[in-house]
Amino acid sequence: MNEEENIIEIKDLKKSYDNGKIKALNGIDLVVKKGEFISIMGPSGSGKSTLLNMIGALDRADEGSIGVAGIDLMESRDLSKFRSKEIGFVFQMHNLIPNLNVLENVEIPMFETSLSSKEMRRRALELLGAVGLADRVDQNPTKLSGGERQRVAIARALVNKPSIILADEPTGALDSKTGDIILKLLKDLHTKEQVTLVMVTHEPYVAQMADRILNVLDGKINEQKKDESDLSVILKKFKQKA
Amino acid sequence: MNVMSFLSLIIKNPFRNRTRASLAIVGIAIGIATIVALGMVTGGLQASTQSTLKAGAAEISVAKIGSNTFGSSGGTIDESVAIDIKNISGVKDTAGILRATANVTSVTTTSSSSSNFGPMGFSVSGIDSTKLSLVGIDSVNGTSFSNEGLNEIILGKSLAQNLNKTVGDSINLFGTDFKITGTYETGSFIQDMGAFISLSKLQNLTSNQNKVSTIVVKVNDNANVTQVSQTIQNTYPNDLSATTAADQANRINQSLGVINTASWAISLLAIIIGGIGVINTMIMSVFERTREIGVLKAVGWKSSRILAMILGESIVLTLVAAVIGIILGVVGVEIILNLLSSTGSVIKPVLSLDTLLRAFGVALLVGVIGGLYPAYRASKLAPTEALRYE
Repeated sequence: MNEEENIIEIKDLKKSYDNGKIKALNGIDLVVKKGEFISIMGPSGSGKSTLLNMIGALDRADEGSIGVAGIDLMESRDLSKFRSKEIGFVFQMHNLIPNLNVLENVEIPMFETSLSSKEMRRRALELLGAVGLADRVDQNPTKLSGGERQRVAIARALVNKPSIILADEPTGALDSKTGDIILKLLKDLHTKEQVTLVMVTHEPYVAQMADRILNVLDGKINEQKKDESDLSVILKKFKQKA
Repeated sequence: MNVMSFLSLIIKNPFRNRTRASLAIVGIAIGIATIVALGMVTGGLQASTQSTLKAGAAEISVAKIGSNTFGSSGGTIDESVAIDIKNISGVKDTAGILRATANVTSVTTTSSSSSNFGPMGFSVSGIDSTKLSLVGIDSVNGTSFSNEGLNEIILGKSLAQNLNKTVGDSINLFGTDFKITGTYETGSFIQDMGAFISLSKLQNLTSNQNKVSTIVVKVNDNANVTQVSQTIQNTYPNDLSATTAADQANRINQSLGVINTASWAISLLAIIIGGIGVINTMIMSVFERTREIGVLKAVGWKSSRILAMILGESIVLTLVAAVIGIILGVVGVEIILNLLSSTGSVIKPVLSLDTLLRAFGVALLVGVIGGLYPAYRASKLAPTEALRYE
């Protein structure tokens, strides 16, 4: 394994809840290369969101080892610094702060950095431009459509220039048309910003956009063979099915 | 970290639920208003007490044993005693004062303004007009009264305002019309609510010929006030009591201490009640924003920043309440004292720095105490659980 190339290295990772009665992760082994786009699929309760939380250092594992962006997450104490620097989260529900405007929502992750307010504003505006919301910066999130809110959430996830974007069903709460736009945006930003993208999804056609598809079942990973068609063909197939 | 952006967030957040924030603010503001109002009244009384110790005024007050501090009730002393006391070593000057309570029932006025008030009692003192400085009256607006048997009177500023009287007007006391020749202001609210006429005139009107209620004593610059007071006391052991102005001030200050203790008790009550209100408000706020706190943790906010944010929001609430409470307290005291002034009570409220600091101190304490637990809870939320919160 080339350590410089691998941004995520997980070995025999275990996590259980309810005094060990529920085994959410039951010996996960995973290596993700820098700049890769990974889709994680699986039924509800299979452990895919738990795995995402472990990678994002939102939760700690019980056993095994997990290294992300060169940080040993089993040992590291200051996980907030790691999250601020290395991880960008995109949730199913955008989770924007309702009393802050679009620009302020994007600036929020930069509070833990040493950036000046001018630089914070510049970065936030640049990203809002990249997600097509340059004209909505002063709007309150409640005035935006679902797709627009998710675009703000994507800008927020990218604003600290993280190594990895963790997206937990980013299109789950959107209609298919808006979902497609968001997926395309995520894929484009992943390519443009050269950021590693790990996405949890229920939708097989969404998963097909990734470089690799991982199936999580009963807390274990099985790698699935990917349809090699390009994105437009995949989307077309899906729409025909629908 | 960008301090301004963080502060702006802290200032905005408490008002997301305006009704709840307003109720919490009103609760604390009432407590603060009470503290300010009591502080202002106590301050006014203290300032009035201080004025009794002013330079130039007599330092010792001699009265018949058993009469009250101001000599307005109890026995009288023979006027000649004032001359005898003046011969005691260390005494610079003395003045005999006769005090009586006058009731104003009818008033004639030479000014265009008419008076409309009910019967009102106030203290009238008789004194030699050349010795007014011994009772703290250094200057008279107008002229002083005559000792030559004319019906002339000077009024304290507060009394003149209450009676709606000015120099040149007349006032009927003890069935006699007096011409108001001047007004005075000493700073003592009791003194400024009284009037002075010539001693002989008051002695005649009240049938107290050659009698006085009190003798005020001014000591030499190099004399020891306590020693002179003791000498006077020893000279008239079973007849007169001598009290120094400092003793009087101390006695009044002890009474003020009771008000001050009450003020502190209300402060404590405000802290407890306000604190509970703030805890409730902030806990509700944290509950409602559990998911949001999860997001903040997910984007890299440290627990300490979340703690600072919630604590800051709590302090913002209480500081806003402090400002509103101070305004309420000041306006409330002015309104109440204005209403009371028509019945004769005139305390000049004083808003001291000490009162302001206490108001803000209590508000800050309520903010910290009320915000600490909710802030701690918020900071300890597990990000995954917070993000799952519906």
